[in-house]
Amino acid sequence: MLKVRNVSLAYGAEPVLENLDLDIATGAFVSLVGPSGSGKTSVLRAVTGLQTPLNGSVELDVDKCDVGFLFQDDALLPWRTARQNVALGLRIRGIAGDKALAEADSWLARLGLAGLEQRYPSQLSGGQRKRVAIAQVLALKPKLLLMDEPFASLDAIVRARITQELVDWVEREHMTVLLVTHDLEEALSTSDVVYLLSQGPRARIRSHYEVPIPRPRTLIETRKHPAFGALLDRLWCDLADEVNVAGAEAAQ
Amino acid sequence: MKTFFAKSWVRRTIALALLTAVWEAAARTGLLNPLFFPAPSRVAAVAVELAIDGGIWVHLQATFSAAVLGLILGLALGILLGFLAALVPVLAELLEPVMILLNAIPRVIMAPLFVIWLGIDLSSKVALAVVLVAVLVFFAVYSGIKNVDRKLVERVVTLGGGRWVLVREVYIPSVTAQVMGSLKVAVGFAFTGAVVGEFVASTRGLGYLLQFAQSTYNAALSFALILLIMLFVLVLFSLAEALEHRLLRWRHR
Repeated sequence: MLKVRNVSLAYGAEPVLENLDLDIATGAFVSLVGPSGSGKTSVLRAVTGLQTPLNGSVELDVDKCDVGFLFQDDALLPWRTARQNVALGLRIRGIAGDKALAEADSWLARLGLAGLEQRYPSQLSGGQRKRVAIAQVLALKPKLLLMDEPFASLDAIVRARITQELVDWVEREHMTVLLVTHDLEEALSTSDVVYLLSQGPRARIRSHYEVPIPRPRTLIETRKHPAFGALLDRLWCDLADEVNVAGAEAAQ
Repeated sequence: MKTFFAKSWVRRTIALALLTAVWEAAARTGLLNPLFFPAPSRVAAVAVELAIDGGIWVHLQATFSAAVLGLILGLALGILLGFLAALVPVLAELLEPVMILLNAIPRVIMAPLFVIWLGIDLSSKVALAVVLVAVLVFFAVYSGIKNVDRKLVERVVTLGGGRWVLVREVYIPSVTAQVMGSLKVAVGFAFTGAVVGEFVASTRGLGYLLQFAQSTYNAALSFALILLIMLFVLVLFSLAEALEHRLLRWRHR
């Protein structure tokens, strides 16, 4: 589905991430974790074309319009109601106004927002806004879903609920997912493979972790799986090593 | 009673009434020279006289036409140039220095030039109002687009939106908020342009009448005319506020 070949990304002169190779098979749920400044978000931006790599290539088996991007911030248009925000992507794809709005309403209802269609983003809670953003992306039926710490701003209970809903959706629709997160438990409980990036600048893939937990998954049950604890320990230790080594190098 | 005074408009009205009463008393007791500070009752009498006499309407119409026309054309020009400069970098290179220069000078100094170019009729007053308003609106639009929330732009781009969708869905609404913020100032600028234009050279208008009041040492007429201009600006202010409320209803809900 997605092949990232020898990609380097930079904001200034020095690459934040260097020579990244990443293969994501169709239907796989892959997470990217790593210290701050390792270029995780930049990878997603490069896949969507928002950022041009210094070198290397990003190859997609699907059309650009089959890629959905769920941002860290909900980034809803404040002057559009919930239904207008969801309908926006549909209208851009050529669906007529009324039909797009009707479809938007049905997506909002599926995500538990029936009755809130006419509200502006400022009139919704953080969790509701996040659901609108999810509806906006899912309504386009993406084959590849990119997510940049999409639930970071939510409280624990809302976050757990929305994450579970999204995992259910992804499993049902056999979507391919690339998730960027700081939350190691979230990465392991949702993903088939977790990639750990080293400390930037010039970050690279340090190691990867296959998650042998069967699907469909419930996030609570997944955390109780015997493999989960051991994987989490390994991931924590490797990440801590990475941060410590980078700290020691910086001190020298 | 306490809740009655808690309302700001009540407090403002009482303060205004008190000030007027003190002014009236001071003028009547001779504390203020009526030649310079005529009593409010005298000012009101002159205003009523102007209205009954009917001669004021031709002057009001002249000033109001110049100000409103200048406001509309200035808004249109400022919005157009602001959009062009923000979206076409080459144009920004040409327009920005000119606008910065125009913004740095007191633009009313161009009034004599407009009289030379366009004569003493309506067009020279409109032109001055247009220049005053357009520069203000240009910067509101230009900086509004330049400082537009990048996250919203990227959101629309990742949804598949092109340049026109961005303009319609992100830039125009963002800029509307900016322009609405400057609209009240623009109303004041439009009246400044119209009245100053009439000061410089004209045969009618409130500016012309003010000039006449000054040359005849008629302070009561000056106050009455200032009051009249304030009244009209207030009417336009409330129209601007209503428009802002309608266009930016997503903020007010």
